[in-house]
Amino acid sequence: MNTVANFLKTPYRAGAIGLSIGTLLVLVVASVILLPEFLAPENLSNLLAQSTVLVISALGQTFVILTGGLDVSVGSIISVTTTIMTLDMPEVVRVMLCIAVAIAFGLSNGYGVARLNVHPIIMTLATMGIGQGLALIILPIPGGKVPEWLSASVAGSVGPVPNSLLWLIAATFVAAWLLYRRPFGLYLFASGGNDFNARMNGVPVERTVIKAYILSALFACAAGMFLAGRLASGDPKGGATFGIESVTAAALGGVHLAGGIGSILGTVAGAAILGIVNNVMNLANVSAFLQSVVKGLLLLALVVSQRRKTIGL
Amino acid sequence: MDLSMTTTDAKIETPSRTLTARRILSWVLGLPPAYYVLAILIAVAPAVSATLINPNYWFVILKQSAPLGIAVLAQSLVMRVRSIDLSVSGVFAFSIYLASSGLLNSYPPFVTVLMPIVIGLAVGLINGALVAYVRASAVIATLSVSAILIGIVQFMSSGRAPGSTPSWLRVLTSGNIYGLSYSVIVWIGISVLVALAFRFLILGRYFRAVGDNPRAAEITGIPLARTIFVSHTLAGTLTGIAALVQVSALAVGTIKPGFDTFMNALAATILGGVTFGVDRGGVAGPFVAVVAFSFLFAMLTVFGIQEPGKLIVQGGIIALAAIIYGARVGRV
Repeated sequence: MNTVANFLKTPYRAGAIGLSIGTLLVLVVASVILLPEFLAPENLSNLLAQSTVLVISALGQTFVILTGGLDVSVGSIISVTTTIMTLDMPEVVRVMLCIAVAIAFGLSNGYGVARLNVHPIIMTLATMGIGQGLALIILPIPGGKVPEWLSASVAGSVGPVPNSLLWLIAATFVAAWLLYRRPFGLYLFASGGNDFNARMNGVPVERTVIKAYILSALFACAAGMFLAGRLASGDPKGGATFGIESVTAAALGGVHLAGGIGSILGTVAGAAILGIVNNVMNLANVSAFLQSVVKGLLLLALVVSQRRKTIGL
Repeated sequence: MDLSMTTTDAKIETPSRTLTARRILSWVLGLPPAYYVLAILIAVAPAVSATLINPNYWFVILKQSAPLGIAVLAQSLVMRVRSIDLSVSGVFAFSIYLASSGLLNSYPPFVTVLMPIVIGLAVGLINGALVAYVRASAVIATLSVSAILIGIVQFMSSGRAPGSTPSWLRVLTSGNIYGLSYSVIVWIGISVLVALAFRFLILGRYFRAVGDNPRAAEITGIPLARTIFVSHTLAGTLTGIAALVQVSALAVGTIKPGFDTFMNALAATILGGVTFGVDRGGVAGPFVAVVAFSFLFAMLTVFGIQEPGKLIVQGGIIALAAIIYGARVGRV
């Protein structure tokens, strides 16, 4: 247990991680007390499956936000991935194509932001449109069939452990390894904190930013594969909401949108808060329409509590 | 004597002409991408369809562009000071619902007219307070406000489309002077007002200073938080006016004014030369960008290109314009 905690430790610039984890714990305790069905195995399994796409995409988004950027094309990459997985071609080719497309999107975003001086929102907004268009061309309406192994890898379990939890743990550990065990992680914090200082200290800022966007796209690709496996089909607009929701989850987890501050645990906690709020409101039969209001208010409350130095984006 | 004078004049004139030519070239190169996009579209239009160069068609395009045009003007105000307003969809949804649900039928007409503007102002005040004084992230704060508004509308309407908008309100879009819709006149009028305010009021200088370098502006005594608060409040009010024009353009109300409303507003603002802290387009830039966008979509429709193709073209143009512009003037 100590080893796990040590691996996920947040040695520097972790943000309001305590607030996020505290909110999550309060939410879980309140849900357990007020809604006995919350702990039912079916509900927990459902909650896990629903939250995994968001957690994986938010982890990728965290890399980009740490550089002071934003990747709104995440949702389109998820949609494109689900549609490619339904194409009529060998399964290995489909997977390779998904990865290649994700790298192409990430590289375009990163190169545009880091080398061509385009603002992150503008660059990823442009690729978001292109990605959404591509997804609709590949699969105009939801449907198609994904490989059986993909559905099985999402739906099944290893002993008592659901596969969706394994996906989630794997993505979290890869993200934590990259952020806390590689020089890249240090470069990310340095570039996002103050890119001029980082450059002066020999940090390859541009390369770091490009890598962050590529990783964000690859995590989105993994989230798309999970979604395709869960739906057992493709959906050209299935990822549409995740572009903004992944940013929301990261922000809830204390990752500062100005860059340089954040943590993997915080992002997982932020995504879990969103997932549990959705789940609890479903269990409590809260109108689907009111859920949007509650989530908006919750987000406002948490963001307001994280006072920043900068004003604006 | 005469000869020497002629020689001297010639020596003076040559660099002067070169300088003027350079200035003109520099001015042309410094224009926002929207101008190039519109020029290219106008150049190829005759080859695509004769309808596209019909003046009446241009009046229709302008009429359709008016709500987006005013929303873009609003967005450009906050983007000038390095902020953003993603609550456009929420203000549109709330205004359209209230105007078309019949809830305001028992009140005098001026209440329906003022309602979107008051909603926009209230949202602008909330956004401004959150972003400028609470220092919440503009992306998250304005997005949350939008989500709350859309959620309230969906809850009140139970997810069903409301009724029709008041017929008397449609005169704002259908009425015209020499073919120019009242809504377009409102759009042009507001654009002129904003341009004059930027030219003659100290607020315009504040906006530029904050956009150029917020930290330097604050150190030199410019009220940073208040300037950003005012920009959000003005933007909210303008978004309310855009919502009013949108309500007048709709025969039947809808609770889904479109996620792409703010995406289009963002894209047009950028094409118009106004981005986070960069203000090369003034007020004319965003205006031209909205017209170029509407004309582009009209042309794509003529070509029979469906939604996916339009999304790809839209994304490609934004990326290309931002890259070219970024290479020329620095970060976009």
